[in-house]
Parts: sequence; structure tokens; C-alpha cells
Amino acid sequence: MKGRRVGSDMNTGTGTGTDGDVMATTAAETDPQVSYHLHIDGVLRPVTNAWLSESLLGVLRDQLGVMSVKDACEQGRCGSCSVLMDGRLVAGCTVLAADAAGAQITTVAGLGTGGPARAVRAAFLAHGAVQCGFCTPGFVVAVTDLLARRPGADEDEIREALAGNICRCTGYGRIIAAIRSVQNARG
Amino acid sequence: MIVTASCELAGRAVDPAAGRTTHMYRPLTVAEVVDALADGDGELLAGGTDLVPALRARRRDPARIVALRRVLELRSRGASANMLIIGAGVTYHDLTGWSLSPGLAATARVVGSPQIRNTGTVGGALGTANPRGDLLTFLSAADAEVVIHSVQGVRTVDVPSFLATGLNRTELVTAVRLPRPCGPQVYLKIGSRQAASTALVSCALVVDRVHERVNCAIGGIAGRPTRPRAAEEFVRQGIDWAAGTIAADVAAGFGELVAQAAAVVPDPLPDEVGGSAAYRRHAVGVLAARAVGRCLSGAGPDVALDVAG
Repeated sequence: MKGRRVGSDMNTGTGTGTDGDVMATTAAETDPQVSYHLHIDGVLRPVTNAWLSESLLGVLRDQLGVMSVKDACEQGRCGSCSVLMDGRLVAGCTVLAADAAGAQITTVAGLGTGGPARAVRAAFLAHGAVQCGFCTPGFVVAVTDLLARRPGADEDEIREALAGNICRCTGYGRIIAAIRSVQNARG
Repeated sequence: MIVTASCELAGRAVDPAAGRTTHMYRPLTVAEVVDALADGDGELLAGGTDLVPALRARRRDPARIVALRRVLELRSRGASANMLIIGAGVTYHDLTGWSLSPGLAATARVVGSPQIRNTGTVGGALGTANPRGDLLTFLSAADAEVVIHSVQGVRTVDVPSFLATGLNRTELVTAVRLPRPCGPQVYLKIGSRQAASTALVSCALVVDRVHERVNCAIGGIAGRPTRPRAAEEFVRQGIDWAAGTIAADVAAGFGELVAQAAAVVPDPLPDEVGGSAAYRRHAVGVLAARAVGRCLSGAGPDVALDVAG
């Protein structure tokens, strides 16, 4: 049987609230699957048969079908699985999914259809900042995060902020141009 | 085998993430953490930047994970008259730009990428104790102490002792303490690229103008950061402390002594792609001379380039 919510064997600090802030522990050695909830793009999504050792990247793709979060290096180095976790840019492959229960996870789809996210997406298209497209969702998350925090970032700061996102088509020039155009349009 | 059966139920042919981890605990306080560790079978999860990829790759497969994300008391940092104290849950991002410790701020800024700096923690760096870890090198130079809690109580050890003996599985690193800066501090590293790269070699320099001392630690040479004591003493004597300057030849000599110290460490790291031991010894001398030139004026901008290998 899977999907057991237990937690009574090590229950200090846990409980079964409805906010997904609780990690259920399984009681049996033979059944290391668990259930919990994740807040993804504003929606509370049940995760019913994940392994405790799975990363947020793995659960997003394999359990929840969020395919914009790309699976590449699995070492926190390439940025293709970048998401926001409680507003902070993180690599989904370095976050334990079960430990993300209770946090707000934002993927590229949750950045919004208007405002800066829309401007960033439009600029990526207009400037040809997309080649094969694999790194693009991660870049859009990272760029939107950067422009929200540092709208006037100069090019050095932009490059430093994007050092954790790798484009193996090496399309960085177009990406920088797209970001500059968003900044210029917003004055 | 039930793991395979469960994988098929989940619609996946093979799930390499499926390990033997059967329990996870998310405590809220240090007291709850150390209680949970008392049996000695809990694997600590801090930021996850080391452990989660290792779980995925099955290099680590703990039965029980104790996650520290919700332990808010580990996330504070502060200062007393003489000391800085940084909770183990403080992230690199939190340290970047911390004006009370320019050395820690400089070190944190060059760790990994923004994604890593937003998640990786001080306690995680100590728990992993990667010999190339940026923070370990700086903390070694800064004469930092590690504060460790267990159900037995609290103990404090200096960084070299901590790295020599490691952490008992019933223990939790709760904080690091280091003296407040009394002069300039820098941290320099060389990696395969400018950003988001593990240090091939690194050099931390902590100058104390009050007590007229220079502490240096080098990383990427041995199994743990090394203090080149003879080089520290040489540069201490060569600095014009009244003026706060250093002559170019003293800076270069310091770099040479650091490179010499790197040649005689007891447990050198082996040659590797992109960084033979000989190259790393040379490079760390260059970094050391450059570091002291940045801390103290008078050496000229390119002194480091004159250092002989």
C-alpha cells in the first residue's frame, strides 16, 4: 500500500496540517513511498507515490508532469531545472522534493502571463535568444527573478546572476540583448 | 523485489532515485534535531546541494533523513564585541554582502552559482567538508571555531580539529564563530571558469592590523585547507605595519613560500585533469602574492605575475 501518511513514530514537530507542510514518514521498511503535497505555481498538488529520496526536479517531471523543468546535469550546475522556491532561485535537482512541502514553488509557467515575465518571454523571441530551447525555461525563471530584484542591473551583474544557467548553444549574446531590451523598454 | 514492483505501479520502468530511505523528519528546533540524531542513524539534510545529487546518483542511500530547513534558530547570524557568530543554516546568499565580514562576503559571493548560493549553507559546507570547499578555506584562515550540539551538550572545536576528527553521527553543527575583522580580508580562487566553478586552488588571507598578523589558508592542495606558517611569519615581518603597505618583493617572496609550503603537505591531492599538482602549487603561490597585494597597498597591481613557480 502506498500513500500512507504516518509520522507518529517520529512525530515531534510534525502533524498533518492541510498546508502540505508536513512530511509523512512511512512505517514499513518495505514501502519507502510516501504522500505529501507541493505548492506548484499556486496550486496544491498531491504527490502520491514518490520516493523519499527523490529530488524536486524528479517529482516535478515524473510525478506531476511539469516538463518545463529540464533534467540535465543533476548536480546543480547547469540551471536547466531552475525554479523559485519561496521566491528564491534554486536548482530543482538540489532540493529534496519531500522537504519542499510547505514551500511555494514557481516554475516558468507560474511567473504570470503579464508583467515582467511576459516581457522577458517576448524579448527572448524577438532577439532570437532561443536556439534549441532546452535551457530557455530555466533562463526565463532566472532572468525574471533578476529583473524583479535588480531592474537596473548592468551587464556584469547580469552575467554574474546568470552564471548558474548554461546554454550549450552558447547563445548568451542574444540572451543578454533580450534582457537589455526589457530593461530599456521599462526605462 | 518490491522496489521494482512499486516502480511499475508508478508507471516507470526503473526509478534510479528509489533508495532505501524510509524515514524523513523535519524538526523545528535544535533540541528536536539532536534528539532525532541520538540513535546515530540520521543523515542530515541542510541546503541539499551535496546530498540531493548524491541521493540521485546513489552515492548516498541513508535509511533516515533529518531535514534542517525548518529549524529557524539555525538561520541567525550576529556579532558581539569581539566575535561573529553565524548559524549553520545561514546560506551563502545571506553572507554575500554582509558588511561585518568582508572576507566571508567575498568568499560566499564566489561559491557556485546564484542557485547554489540560495540553498547551500554554512553547516552543509562543514558537514560535507569538501577539501576544495571555499568556505572551509576562509574559515581556516579566520581561526574560526565550530559549535556542535548533541544530546550530551555543546562543544566547540577549531576548524583544523573539526576537519581532522569530523562529526559524530549524533552531532549537529549549529554555528561557526570567528573573530571580528581587524583589517582587510580576501578570498581568491581559480577554477575551470570564472563563475559557478569548484575551486581548483584557493587562497584566503586575513590581515589583522591590530595584532600585526597575517593568516593564510590554501585550498585545493591537500585533503583539507593548509596554513603555510613560515610564509605567514615571513610576510608578517615584511609588512610595514605603520604605513599599511607591503613591498613588491615581499609579496612575491610570500607567494614563493606559499608555493613551497604547498609542495610539502602531508596528504597532497593527486593530479587531475586541468590541474596537475605542480600547476596547483604554482597557482596557489600566485594567488597568495596577489591576495596580499590586494590587502595592502604598495605591491603594485601585477606582482603576482612575477612569482616563480
